[in-house]
Amino acid sequence: MLRYSLKRLLVAIPTILALIVIAFFLMRLAPGGPFTAERPLPESVMKNVLARYGMDQPLYVQFGTYLKNLFFHFDFGPSFAQKDRSVNEIIAHGFPVTITYGFWSAVFVLLLGIPLGIIAALRHNGVWDYTMTGLAIFSQIFPNFVLAPLMVLLFTLVLGWLPGGGWNGGQWQYIIMPAVALGTSYMASVARLTRGQMLEVLNSPFIRTARAKGLSERTIVWRHAMKPALLPVVSYMGPVFVYMITGSVFIDVFFSTGGIGQDFIDGAYSRDYSVLMALALLYITLTIVLNLLMDLIYAWVDPKVRSAL
Amino acid sequence: MNSFRTKMRSKAFSEELAEEIIQSNSFWQDARIRFFQNKMAVLSCFILLSIVLFAIFGGYFAQWSNEEIDWSVLGKVKTEGMPSIASGHYFGVDELGRDLYARVVQGSRVSLSVGVIASIFALISGATWGAIAGYYGKRLDAVILGASQITTAIPYIIFFVVWQAFFGRSTSQLIIVMILVNWSAGLFIVRGQVMMLKEKEFVDAARLMGLSDFQIIRKHILPNMLGIVVIYASLTIPEVIMFESIVSFLGVGIQEPATSWGKLIAEGARTMQFGTLWQFAFPAAIFALTQISLYYIGDGLRDALDPKDR
Repeated sequence: MLRYSLKRLLVAIPTILALIVIAFFLMRLAPGGPFTAERPLPESVMKNVLARYGMDQPLYVQFGTYLKNLFFHFDFGPSFAQKDRSVNEIIAHGFPVTITYGFWSAVFVLLLGIPLGIIAALRHNGVWDYTMTGLAIFSQIFPNFVLAPLMVLLFTLVLGWLPGGGWNGGQWQYIIMPAVALGTSYMASVARLTRGQMLEVLNSPFIRTARAKGLSERTIVWRHAMKPALLPVVSYMGPVFVYMITGSVFIDVFFSTGGIGQDFIDGAYSRDYSVLMALALLYITLTIVLNLLMDLIYAWVDPKVRSAL
Repeated sequence: MNSFRTKMRSKAFSEELAEEIIQSNSFWQDARIRFFQNKMAVLSCFILLSIVLFAIFGGYFAQWSNEEIDWSVLGKVKTEGMPSIASGHYFGVDELGRDLYARVVQGSRVSLSVGVIASIFALISGATWGAIAGYYGKRLDAVILGASQITTAIPYIIFFVVWQAFFGRSTSQLIIVMILVNWSAGLFIVRGQVMMLKEKEFVDAARLMGLSDFQIIRKHILPNMLGIVVIYASLTIPEVIMFESIVSFLGVGIQEPATSWGKLIAEGARTMQFGTLWQFAFPAAIFALTQISLYYIGDGLRDALDPKDR
């Protein structure tokens, strides 16, 4: 187990390092940049601006400084477009917001998706089962960028229950809609997957044996069927997190939560390469870490994988 | 995103399906019959066809062009810009006083053609890499599979936004990125089939005749896989359309004056609070109809092809 974790980490670290190298050189070699305006700056001014950001030095020196700052001080440098803020300040400001509603969204996905799937499987072809199929199709036609405006329309404009955007220090009213809009389609997928797996497990020979032994239906479901049915859900959560990160960019922009998604898109608009690259690295590192975590949990839960390690 | 899509993308399913297709002579015939028995799938085909026809010929019925501004309703969009047959604005007008019907036709053209073009190239790429992986196997196979796993583990929007920031925002860049992101579309299924096909006698015969690997793949193996690749398009197209819509919604995709479903939905969502609901409803409805018909078509195809579920 330990060896497996170490091996996975050994793959993850070079991946992130390679990304840093590619990101840095793309950032510096790209045509144009944050300082190219429609009316070019006078040469002397441009020189001073470049010197201010250390961009007058040879590329390898710049790269060395960037790495040094990144590894020893965890410093991503100054933002090119937002003159008075460093990239670190931007991240420190936005990241907690994104993580907060992302966390609640994941809770929503798991705490609603899994029970729904189990109930649908136990009441196969019953009302719950049809409700769930309906939900799965609903989430397909209304992906988060259609669902979010619909929710705002209903809960903010018509009913007036919830604020249509903003963050306000993370009060619960402000978290609900971003978390639900982000999670709904994955919640439906998790429910659908759980249902399918549960049905398959409930039809398998060892459950028949348990029934033949006269065990109560509750013991069968909780003790015997639950674990094998939930395993694929664990492995499915890795890709779900990837999609949720993608979705969070949209949620940040649409609900003006002040999360890093907004800064990311702004960075792309203003070609603020330092912010753009730092956030891209953050997103990708987050993806890799979450995927790694899910794989480790999977290996830890599944005896077949565990013994193969 | 959906479990059935995940299933069609999985390695085990692809290999099972490949075996079934190659072993059974009447496979495609049976599959066709099963597909046409699925009423939702057939209905969805008709809906999708009407949307495509709407995108192609809808412009001929428009009373206004998509650039023309109706000055008579400008500033009074909420009270006078609503959908009406009399004014010729079937879907109402947008916030700039342009005819929404013409804009939706324009957006449908863009969304559909971007979706189809990007999917075709992504599938060509996926099929080629899949054929190489399946044909040569061993190290090359492992490298290609690994690369496809890495790309699926990167949130595509991150890649997309960074790319657009560096290389500029344009529709062609959008299509290029979508091809790059989906480069492994259909890779597994093609790989599985090639692995089976290359053991067949006719491939041996071709090799004995002195054909090069490239010629064998191109002339004898790829034509055998056209069917399955076309079917994979039904899975790739909705995803690409979704992708295009979300980036256009964020404002980093299709740029004005061009438009697309995502962009129209974004504009509609922004102006919703002023009571001009139709600006959101029409593009969202067409988008939703497209997605749901593609969903049912994909579902029907999966059921028709699934070697296990019979």
